[in-house]
Amino acid sequence: MAEIPNKFDVIVIGAGPAGSASAYYLATKGFKVLMLERGRSPGSKNVFGGRVYVAPLREIFSDFEKTAPIHRWVTRERMSFMYGNELVSLDYEGNDHKSFTTYLSQLVAWMALKAETAGVSIVNDITVTGLLKEGNKVIGIKSGNESVKADVVIDAEGVNRLVLESAGTVPPLKPSNVALGVKEVVKVNPEVLANEFGLGDGEGMAWSLMGDVTSGLPGGGFIYTNKDSVSIGLVMLLDNAISGANDEVYRYVERLKAHPKLNKYFKDSRIMEYSAHLIPEDVWSLRPPKLAYDGLLIAGDAAGFLLNLGYTYRGVDFAAYSGYLAGKAIEQAHELGGMSAINLAAYPKLLDQSFIMKNLKRFNGTNKLMHNRRLFTAYPAMMVSLMKRIYSLDYESQKIFNTVLASAKENGVGPFTLISDGIEVIRYL
Amino acid sequence: MGLNIILLFKYVPNTNTVNVDPNTGTLVREGVPSVVNPHDLDAAELALELREKYGGKITAMIMAPPNAMKGIEFLMGMGVDEGVLITDRAYGGADTLATSYVLAAGIRTIEHYDLIITGQETLDSSTAHIGAQLASWLKLPYVYYVTEASLNDGTLIVKRQLESYTEKYRVKLPALITVLMHSHQPRPVTLENKLRAVIKKPIKMLTNNDLKLNIMCTGLRGSPTVVAKTEFIAKIPRKKEILKDKSPQETAAWLLSKLKEEGFLN
Amino acid sequence: MSAAEQRLEDILNNDIWDVDPNPHITVDSEKCKNCNTKPCIRLCPAGCYTMSEKTLVFSYEGCVECGTCRVVCPLEAIHWEFPKSGRGIYFRFS
Repeated sequence: MAEIPNKFDVIVIGAGPAGSASAYYLATKGFKVLMLERGRSPGSKNVFGGRVYVAPLREIFSDFEKTAPIHRWVTRERMSFMYGNELVSLDYEGNDHKSFTTYLSQLVAWMALKAETAGVSIVNDITVTGLLKEGNKVIGIKSGNESVKADVVIDAEGVNRLVLESAGTVPPLKPSNVALGVKEVVKVNPEVLANEFGLGDGEGMAWSLMGDVTSGLPGGGFIYTNKDSVSIGLVMLLDNAISGANDEVYRYVERLKAHPKLNKYFKDSRIMEYSAHLIPEDVWSLRPPKLAYDGLLIAGDAAGFLLNLGYTYRGVDFAAYSGYLAGKAIEQAHELGGMSAINLAAYPKLLDQSFIMKNLKRFNGTNKLMHNRRLFTAYPAMMVSLMKRIYSLDYESQKIFNTVLASAKENGVGPFTLISDGIEVIRYL
Repeated sequence: MGLNIILLFKYVPNTNTVNVDPNTGTLVREGVPSVVNPHDLDAAELALELREKYGGKITAMIMAPPNAMKGIEFLMGMGVDEGVLITDRAYGGADTLATSYVLAAGIRTIEHYDLIITGQETLDSSTAHIGAQLASWLKLPYVYYVTEASLNDGTLIVKRQLESYTEKYRVKLPALITVLMHSHQPRPVTLENKLRAVIKKPIKMLTNNDLKLNIMCTGLRGSPTVVAKTEFIAKIPRKKEILKDKSPQETAAWLLSKLKEEGFLN
Repeated sequence: MSAAEQRLEDILNNDIWDVDPNPHITVDSEKCKNCNTKPCIRLCPAGCYTMSEKTLVFSYEGCVECGTCRVVCPLEAIHWEFPKSGRGIYFRFS
């Protein structure tokens, strides 16, 4: 079958946010791109929490806001600390359109369609199983015993790096590298979104929950409002979950929905979908030894590009933008005369100058913070007992500072620990 | 030489899970992706095996909305050579009669064919009408529930599986067979085949401009089938009991008493 | 429906799969025998791993393809790869 092209300018592994963004950019610059997707269609294997920051996507796709599947703009942010049947919440109501909710499956389908329209050949149903090499140089990909060649390969295979592992580029994942996210998308009545969440047309809420959500395991819960549904789930650091989770993980989501202070949001709800995904957690140990090799760039979750701040996650925009930068680097390498590691070195440089590495460096240490169990046990409990002391009164009012120390003590946190943890939080977040 | 095979298939909602909205009692169809009817994959596998043995060409054909193109691509990924997509608004809402009428017209546009193969039935309606109706329209010999097929002296030898016995037929070509469900293990798609499907797109589109059928006989207008009533059957809660660590005799006695209790045995 | 806790099989019933006839998960039962903790049982979000009598049994059909089992198995007894031919889970709203 000689008529089938067996050589492309670029092969992209995985049609997720990183892959689709890179393929789209390169196709608009005239490169012949093949994007391989293991799912039946782009988006069918993708999972995220529920919110995407728009600025990077707007830079990649100029018409993003006009045609992308945006469900609601996040105009309300809420952070809750939970203890027992009580919770303390911090609420922010803004007006900006900085982030939005959606289904990643829909967003990725949209991105891939943009790529296809720009000229990318998308082949679904094909699982890439390895890299085709000539010496140290990557010259294409393998799928079972078949192969296709390209001048350069972008590995955007996602967090389970079976291709990079098989090529020996990265070591196997360790539990300490990742967190497990488990999520339900539930259909809710429109009245619930309007009345219980207090959202107007097109307005959305991003809600993070800490404390009893995960039975004190480092991690947290999240709730996002979509067009006519709600995404609810939780994230737990996998190494801690191995030793600490004493129940099947799906139960935590179900329990969260049934929480006495949350169940009104899920009245008459119906589960539309249940999903789970691993999340890059310790981005520095996940980072491949290099991001640019001879004939190979690594982007998205596969490169560990995700920022977890506890109260918010940034994965999709990081992934898409890293793919976009991989595209730019390939464009530059092409002008320099080839896809050698030296010519592709623009990729790590572009990343360093971008918000991706700036953020990852600025928040280097949050992972350590996330492993401080008190943040997920004692402090949420303390917040609740503090508020209770202040507000739940019969006769006598309390002085706030005394109350802080008292509720800290009540939760087994001495003044020294309180202050040193406080410093840690301020330093890392 | 070789066999020219037409593989007919349907692109159906993936109904491995049929969900009912507990509040409205209606089927939840939102976002349900379509797949090649799994029973047609048995037919595809048999067609591919025949082509491997005797050479020739396989053309996948479907009457469906344009999104069925993805179904043709999947079959081409398995190794089917080319596709024909028959699509026209005037064909929408068809029952099996109106569908087989259009498919027969589509098949007549193909100059030479030896064998028409399709699955036993579809996942979403399970009527198993199309094979018989098409054989009537095209006046072809027809065998259903086929498990094996081979060529002998220019005729087709087929085995068909009935409940407790197997029949063997010698059939003149061209012929139409439907393949017993679960009789074959469909092969995975390959990279080379998918690439050919996506990049070469050897898929022909036919509309009523090509077929020039009387639209009173196609689509909803050409469909005499009327769904009189659909009934929602409530889920039966499962009664589960586990008996552990008992001897086979005790277990058997326990099971018998349970079955009697439930009225399954006297 | 109330917000009462649902069973995992009812939750999973809302998902869509095109199940691969060839399992994409295999478990080395010899290695597995020597594992006392078996974190896969609690941490597989799809409940693919369960105990029957004293041995671990697994099913791959309802796998949501997160890869957790592969990472948490302390004895590397689980071989996990992606299903072929676009089969496996099909997410629409995640």
